[in-house]
Amino acid sequence: MNANFVAGSLLPFGFHRLDDQSVVAVSAAGDHTFLTQQELLALIQTPETLELKKRAELQSKYFLTGNSSIGTLELLRSRIAARKETVLAGQSLHIIVPTLQCEHSCQYCQVSRRLEDVGHSMSPSQIDASCATIFQSQANALTIEFQGGDPLLRFDLIQRAIDLIQKMNLEHKRRIRFVVASTLHQLTSGMCEYFRSNQVYLSTSLDGPALLHNKNRPIPSRDSHARTLAGIELARSIMGPQAVAALMTTTKASLAYPEAIVDEYVKNGFTEIFMRPLSLYGFARRNIKHLGYTLPEFTNFYQKALQRVLEWNARGTELREGTAALIFNKLLSPFDAGYVDLQSPTGSGLAVLVYNYDGYVYPSDEARMLAETGDGSLRLGSIGDSLAQLMASPVMRQLIETSISTQAVGCETCAFNSFCGPDPVGAQAEFGDMRTVALLTEHCKRHKWLFEYFFRKLRTADDDFLDIAYRWAHPAGYSNA
Amino acid sequence: MRKVRVRTHGVEYRTVARVISLENLSAQWRPELRFLVRAADAEGITKVAQLRSAGLTNLISLTSSLHVADQWQAEPVVETGGILMDEDVVAFADHMNHAHVLYRYTDQHHTVFLTNRCNSYCLMCSQPPTKQDDSWLVNEAVEVANHIASSPHTLGFSGGEPLLLGEHLRLVLDTFAHQHPSTRYDVLSNGRLLANPIYAEHMLKGLSERVTWMVPLYGHADFLHDFVVQSPGAFEETLAGLLNLRRFGQAVQLRIVLIRPVLENLAALCEFIGRNLPFVREVALMACEPIGFALANPELTDIDLREWSAELSHGIRTLKRAKIPAILMNAPLCALPQILWPYAHKSISDWKRTFAEDCATCRVKTECAGLFSWHHPGKFSMKIQKIEGIINV
Ligand code: SF4
Ligand code: SF4
Repeated sequence: MNANFVAGSLLPFGFHRLDDQSVVAVSAAGDHTFLTQQELLALIQTPETLELKKRAELQSKYFLTGNSSIGTLELLRSRIAARKETVLAGQSLHIIVPTLQCEHSCQYCQVSRRLEDVGHSMSPSQIDASCATIFQSQANALTIEFQGGDPLLRFDLIQRAIDLIQKMNLEHKRRIRFVVASTLHQLTSGMCEYFRSNQVYLSTSLDGPALLHNKNRPIPSRDSHARTLAGIELARSIMGPQAVAALMTTTKASLAYPEAIVDEYVKNGFTEIFMRPLSLYGFARRNIKHLGYTLPEFTNFYQKALQRVLEWNARGTELREGTAALIFNKLLSPFDAGYVDLQSPTGSGLAVLVYNYDGYVYPSDEARMLAETGDGSLRLGSIGDSLAQLMASPVMRQLIETSISTQAVGCETCAFNSFCGPDPVGAQAEFGDMRTVALLTEHCKRHKWLFEYFFRKLRTADDDFLDIAYRWAHPAGYSNA
Repeated sequence: MRKVRVRTHGVEYRTVARVISLENLSAQWRPELRFLVRAADAEGITKVAQLRSAGLTNLISLTSSLHVADQWQAEPVVETGGILMDEDVVAFADHMNHAHVLYRYTDQHHTVFLTNRCNSYCLMCSQPPTKQDDSWLVNEAVEVANHIASSPHTLGFSGGEPLLLGEHLRLVLDTFAHQHPSTRYDVLSNGRLLANPIYAEHMLKGLSERVTWMVPLYGHADFLHDFVVQSPGAFEETLAGLLNLRRFGQAVQLRIVLIRPVLENLAALCEFIGRNLPFVREVALMACEPIGFALANPELTDIDLREWSAELSHGIRTLKRAKIPAILMNAPLCALPQILWPYAHKSISDWKRTFAEDCATCRVKTECAGLFSWHHPGKFSMKIQKIEGIINV
């Protein structure tokens, strides 16, 4: 082959050291390559000395340019644009919190109020005003998610919102999906019939085996687990096998049961599990000694759980782990799956809006939880404000300004800044200031660990693991935006 | 293109016509078309002659009998082989000694050849480009569009590089789309000229949605692709062209010809496609039968596909991971590992397709793409090995 064809120049990239002898390098497009120390030096100083195969790889992944670059630069622009799709295409996730009532009294829960505690619900006119704002978003596909408390306690408000949105959509013609997040304890077959005819999916919490789940989610009758499973079964029987997705929250008590938790999901017919760490702020912060755990404790737990998930897959039982899936999506797919926590600028407010029972609009779920602890500083405005007004709020401006990963202190040189960015809402919750340097935040530490962990796995991956990684990386089927 | 021996008199210029029976003539006759009317005997020829003198000057009679024809000076086209079929669209002229069958409805594959000129110079080109002016092919293509009686399911345009025709290509595409709105069209093009946004807009804006662009890509870096197509800058132009195709919502099939420098980097190329060109409809991996330029570059093109199973499997697995459909073309089953058989297409055109002697007793012959008709066992040819024993296909 004629090497004279090559006369490339270097494009900007970042790298992260994996050990003495090797790094993972990531280009502006988000493509990665593993380099030895020698290759890293050659890339920077004397790219023409790189072996031809490596040079081809580095050109094709936007580390080096070829002779001319009319096509390559155009492609690079389109790759970067595709990564920003989630935050640039308009708010696609709209969370409505019709009520704060809930029958549980979870130790780590920031928000819920007892059943008998009235006055923590939206008014019908607030529901209507929220729906009007939703349609001001430019997004073509909208997910409307109902949260609580337990929103099924105010099924009347859910129904009001869905009926109104369906009616308005006859004119707006968006692709709409509804999700109701609930314990499912109050679920009735009548509700299921209604959900089935309105393309509503259910999302519930399943923390693991009965003992653990009941410990995490106490109710007076001590049968939270059994009642949630009954709800899942009821929903599936009427709405179909894919009607319910489940999420788990890792508490200190969970740490001892990674395998049992995964097995519980398989046993109950789920094809997806999402190993989520606890957000260590809000109400939970007060109980941090009692409930909290360190990052290494979590990652240790997580690795064991993931290992179990992979074992199930190897045995032919399909099970997708949500955290791995979202990291793989970032590392391997040209399409952004729309996960709102890993966006730059932040997805808070740009991809998500929360219409809260208290009459205010918040930029994310975490932000409205923060308000429950007395910090209402992240309010974008009131329900009824137009989307344009909400977006023009000083809070929104600051959320954007502090979350550009290529500019923020610490992030600008981070190898992972194509996949990630500062989380100002988390910083506000953790340090009381959204301008806190990202490097100090839980968000950053956890995600750095995750990126590094999965890059190491990819470096040594066999074909079967790669098949799974790419399958999970694909946005289709990813249901917990 | 099928060639059929014919004898003509007085057909000075290459003429396109539709073969038709006398009975069907009244139903299909249109003033702007030309017809080759079957006349079995003297009576038939007389009938055609009468119609002509009555003003239907666009009729020429077609007979299979030299004897009958000889009773008439000039005029009838004689085809004794009985190969021409009703509704064939044919081109003929005195200087040709044969007729080209430009279109036959019952063929599996239909191709309209648009130009012999090209702006690339691929190592393995099966039809090395020429420079001479062949713009008459455009006119003939329009004639073909007009003369086809029954629209094909799919029709391909090939060259050379059709984009060199500029607005004339658009004219051809629009004519076909207008005359045969239900047909799907494939355009074989390297896409390079579509890098120019203004040209791309003229070519693509408002184009029929039933067109698929079949664009070759031979490497994931410029020096790999440009080497295969022997044209510096081609890679970047093709990429920019592909992006313009996407901008105008055009369907794209990428084509990868399996020669040595391509196979050596196949998985990396497939990964590049998955990450950067995920909008393509599919990727076709095509075995290369050494003819044309390929004969001049045997060290690069004369390969035994059976020795490249690992690369092929890896490439296809990479595409599968990216959820990009892959197909294997021109590859006989015995040259592929069995796990790749589901990807193999019977892609060789009927009139080009043949089998070797060994194939007669092969267990999978009915599922096999077969070989190109110019295949002859020897150094420069597809290496095959018949499949014996029990196989579940
Ligand atoms: S938050 Fe941390 S991991 Fe994310 S881009 Fe910034 S520095 Fe990197
Ligand atoms: S022996 Fe002939 S028919 Fe059999 S697979 Fe090979 S080429 Fe096809």
